[in-house]
Amino acid sequence: MSVSYILIVLIAMFGHSEDFLGTTLLSRPLVLGPLVGLVLGDLTQGVIIGATLELIFMGNIKVGAAIPPDVITGGVLGTAFAIISGKGPAVALAIAIPVSILAEMVISGLFVSRSLLNKRFKKYADDGDHQSFQRLHILSGLTKPLLMGIIILLALVLGAGPIKSFLEMIPLWVQTGLQVAGNMLPALGFALLMNLMFNKTMAPYFFLGFMLAAYLKLPVIAIGGLGCIIAILVTQVAPKPNTDDDFDDLEEEAPIENTTPTLLGKRDIRSVFFRSMALEANFNFETWQNTGFAFAMIPVLKKLYTTKQSMAVALNRHLQFFNTSPYGSTLILGITAAMEEQNRRDEEFESESINSVKMGLMGPLAGVFDSLFWGTFKVIAAGAGTSLAIKGNLMGPILFLLIFNVPHLLLRYNLSFIGYKAGTQFLQNLAKNNVMDRLTKGASILGLMVVGAMPATLIAISTPITLGSAKSAVSVQEILNQVMPAAIPLGLTFLVYYFVKKNVKTTYLLLGLLVLGFAGSIIHLFA
Amino acid sequence: MIKLTRIDDRLVHGQVAFTWTPALGVNCLLIANDKVANDEFLKMAINLAKPAGCKLIIKSVKEAIIFLNDEKSQNLKILVLINNVKDAAELAEHVAEIQSINFGGLRSKEGSKLISKAIAVNTDDIEIINQLANKGIELEVRQLPTDTKQLAVDLIKNIAV
Repeated sequence: MSVSYILIVLIAMFGHSEDFLGTTLLSRPLVLGPLVGLVLGDLTQGVIIGATLELIFMGNIKVGAAIPPDVITGGVLGTAFAIISGKGPAVALAIAIPVSILAEMVISGLFVSRSLLNKRFKKYADDGDHQSFQRLHILSGLTKPLLMGIIILLALVLGAGPIKSFLEMIPLWVQTGLQVAGNMLPALGFALLMNLMFNKTMAPYFFLGFMLAAYLKLPVIAIGGLGCIIAILVTQVAPKPNTDDDFDDLEEEAPIENTTPTLLGKRDIRSVFFRSMALEANFNFETWQNTGFAFAMIPVLKKLYTTKQSMAVALNRHLQFFNTSPYGSTLILGITAAMEEQNRRDEEFESESINSVKMGLMGPLAGVFDSLFWGTFKVIAAGAGTSLAIKGNLMGPILFLLIFNVPHLLLRYNLSFIGYKAGTQFLQNLAKNNVMDRLTKGASILGLMVVGAMPATLIAISTPITLGSAKSAVSVQEILNQVMPAAIPLGLTFLVYYFVKKNVKTTYLLLGLLVLGFAGSIIHLFA
Repeated sequence: MIKLTRIDDRLVHGQVAFTWTPALGVNCLLIANDKVANDEFLKMAINLAKPAGCKLIIKSVKEAIIFLNDEKSQNLKILVLINNVKDAAELAEHVAEIQSINFGGLRSKEGSKLISKAIAVNTDDIEIINQLANKGIELEVRQLPTDTKQLAVDLIKNIAV
């Protein structure tokens, strides 16, 4: 048993290293669940439990400094105890929910105390000592996996015995109740997603997605594909503004030629891209991603500033507060690299403009990329991934990672070069041609169609009620299936959405759903 | 109609574009900031992050006050964004409709202390906060619409300045 405990701790530590690994969703329950299952000898169960937890935590997103419940610790422990006890997904969520809320508090504490390191960083920056600077960034990044690893090890060693004997006492009817309640919880995740995306004008796309899934039984991937086509069609029809300055466009669209020899090579920019993966490693509540930004810039700074003094000035410049979406961070890094290069070459260059561009762009670009990745790619990836994984299909988690990360990494890599070569001109062109407006519109159409498909495919709730006497009994569910399949999941999702709109706390909604499912199962209203 | 007045030193970013705008159902973002109003580059950048189907208006604090007091603005559902406590106080003083101010993000600065994960205030801020609170204006700290409201006045008591 002890070997598997250590492996489970390593899995959780791997999940907690995501801040080093580009926020690539490796830490999601859908990915870690199967790994825990593999270690404990039940891969299929791990895939299923991972999918169940993913559905419940689907609406939890990380934007800005808003830290969601820690699904890594909660998910890994929940999955592990569920498999060890052999009690299935219901037990996993009963453990994962409270644990993830508690673990989030520990992590917030860590993010506060990391601010204490800022004095150290400042000292290294003053000395122009980029080596110590980057070492500290990495060390600080390691504190999260180490700290959480220790906590999880303790929980496993101390908790396994008591929890196992406690779980064995649970009678069957409680287990069934928990199971039904657990099947209801995804409604909360969907309602939270809807809260971000649903409104009157966009409602048709949601219902289109729902009907394709409920009546035509199309898989989520097919609905995503259709969503793409519809999004492209709709945004093409939309009138293209600024037609009066067509001639200006022609003039400006000539490629920007950089005739001066560049000091930075392709390798340096590529290295900035790779280092951008560790942007959030030292995330703290005082200066946020500042040392991550500096860490990513170091290859460029090393090339440009060869004296200690000039390096000190440059490092200090990038110690300023910084926070943006990791997915689009390379665009700002690329632009900054170009400006640093210009600063080096041109005596007249105002180095302060580097930070004002950084500060000006970090917020708006976070808005763009967070919406795009959390609102669209993550939704499609999770929809497609969980719908396979919930049946125990290992392709689920793999597809989940691919759908999110192929566009993510391609874009992130290319943005670093676009930022470096075209600079802010690239953004000005985007703004001028209203590209962003069409992109956000298209992305929300696509996202909402997939969200609409979710209640129909991913909430397994039906009713065992029958009408009439025993002989001529008619099943209510059968009638529903003929008129409107998935009517109960849809109704449930809208019910939760209504309360979310009323600003009811998520924790209360969670408890409410658990009670509803539990009670509904006991009185044979739901199954 | 003002749906929310928010202090956020990054003005428009992920939380605003992606969570607050849809949750409040607003159709207009009003940025009241003297610096941004006079900076074409910043205007362009913020314009990129404009959520779909939402109007973006950037004005100096003075002009924003005139705009918000104009009856025409009643037809819009507005999310007002400012990036510091002082501008918020100025708006609240001249726009009677503002009875509640949301504290979304204020980064650390010289002599400031964290009162919440993303809110750092210095003594000047605290003075303004107390004045606003005495006028009966609700000052609530929330990063996301789904967070629980905490009152800035209570959080200030927790730190020794």
